[in-house]
Amino acid sequence: MIEFQHVSKAYRGVKALDDVSFTVRPGTVTGFLGPNGAGKSTALRVLAGLCRPTSGTATVLGRPYTELERPGFEVGTVLDAGAQHPGRSGREVLILGAMLLGLPKSRVDEVLELVGLTGKEGGRAVGGYSLGMRQRLGIAHALLGRPRALILDEPANGLDPQGIQWMRGLLRDLAGAGCAVLLSSHLLHEVEQVAEHIVMIGRGRVLAQGTVAELSRGRGLEQTFLDLTANADRSAS
Amino acid sequence: MTDTAADVTAGFGPAGAAGGRRSFMTLVRVETRKLFDTRTSKILTAVLVALGLGSVAARGLVAGPHFFTLAGTSAIAFGTLLPVLAILTMTGEWSHRTALTTFALEPRRGRVLAAKCLPPLVAAVAACLLALLAAAPVTAAVSAAQGVPAVWQVAPHTVLGWIATMVILTAEGLAMGALLLNAPAAIVIYFVMPMLWSAVGQLGHVGAALAGWLDLNSTTSALTSGEVSGGDLARLAVSALVWIAIPMAAGVLRVSRKDI
Repeated sequence: MIEFQHVSKAYRGVKALDDVSFTVRPGTVTGFLGPNGAGKSTALRVLAGLCRPTSGTATVLGRPYTELERPGFEVGTVLDAGAQHPGRSGREVLILGAMLLGLPKSRVDEVLELVGLTGKEGGRAVGGYSLGMRQRLGIAHALLGRPRALILDEPANGLDPQGIQWMRGLLRDLAGAGCAVLLSSHLLHEVEQVAEHIVMIGRGRVLAQGTVAELSRGRGLEQTFLDLTANADRSAS
Repeated sequence: MTDTAADVTAGFGPAGAAGGRRSFMTLVRVETRKLFDTRTSKILTAVLVALGLGSVAARGLVAGPHFFTLAGTSAIAFGTLLPVLAILTMTGEWSHRTALTTFALEPRRGRVLAAKCLPPLVAAVAACLLALLAAAPVTAAVSAAQGVPAVWQVAPHTVLGWIATMVILTAEGLAMGALLLNAPAAIVIYFVMPMLWSAVGQLGHVGAALAGWLDLNSTTSALTSGEVSGGDLARLAVSALVWIAIPMAAGVLRVSRKDI
């Protein structure tokens, strides 16, 4: 369960998030959809306790992230797949995570296999990884502790069509097992394919939320999205 | 990856007893490993050891078999590279944006910073012990080769003062790194400071007094010079407060409040 309650965040008076409220239920994949600069990354960082909201609260499994007893076992995060030390091997990144969580090295091999990175690829320095491989590594890291909630910022970035299909299957499996999955994207068709619930955001405000069927009623999901974001831009300027 | 669901659905949360809250020592172990597990840090460590030992051996050929003179020569390499290692430890999370994952797994940021401080400080002591260990056979060998009696005498407090100086300089690197979170800036400040203070020291009585109280390089020199007076200790304390304690406190505060 992931919950935003009236979350606002202002940077020097400029509102990056404005009264954001929505819920991600266990067992569902929720797509956080919005154009670039809409506030998606800020919202996810507030959720992961990395950014302090100006007002409101964001909770994971009923508690603010920073108050979680063992965050690595409860929430998996991939907030920027590119943010890795280029001189460290992928496997080493996972070993450090496993050490911190007190997990055996065998778990490292399990998650490497789970995300489809070979032993040889795992041994290579991350500096030589494609963005798609970094996404897989990030997900492997997030899944180390078998978390009950997953927060992914633009997870499809850099993935090839096979990779996107794989990701879709993985996230559905996780949701099927009861995991609450929240992923952001600026690309409608990506979200549409994997998420059953969608939260549309523009200029820091939630513009609409509901199931894919609800939001696409009448004029189609794409038109709904374009109309809403255009309106948000107009009212802001 | 044929059967991903089997693994993914194999239950949430930690298996068995593995799920206790992270102890501080676990963090220290992880941070120690991070210090040596990248290409840059492996090269830096190799250079540190090679230069340290190389300078001990080279000095032996030139200066004759004086045990502590030889060991102390390594301070040139250590005083330069240990603080750089310390700065890189503190700033690494920010230069590679890994702070996102590090502080997501351990939201108590102060603990992470504290765990980052220990390995470089221990490395400073270890480097000094290594230099002492290397200086012994070099002294004996030079003495035998040149037919000159070896000089082994060294006051214990001189050795301790020397090690303390290395630890203090490393701590200065940690504090500068924590305050600035930017490796190039911290490294430049660390290396420009001694030059700046020697210039300030030339500026009459006031300049000399300022440098005498605030230049860590000159206040630590009392530690190796034999007698340490109360005044020396006061000067050392003031300069350590200004260059280590205050910037470190400000850095911890900055990191704790920072939006990542």
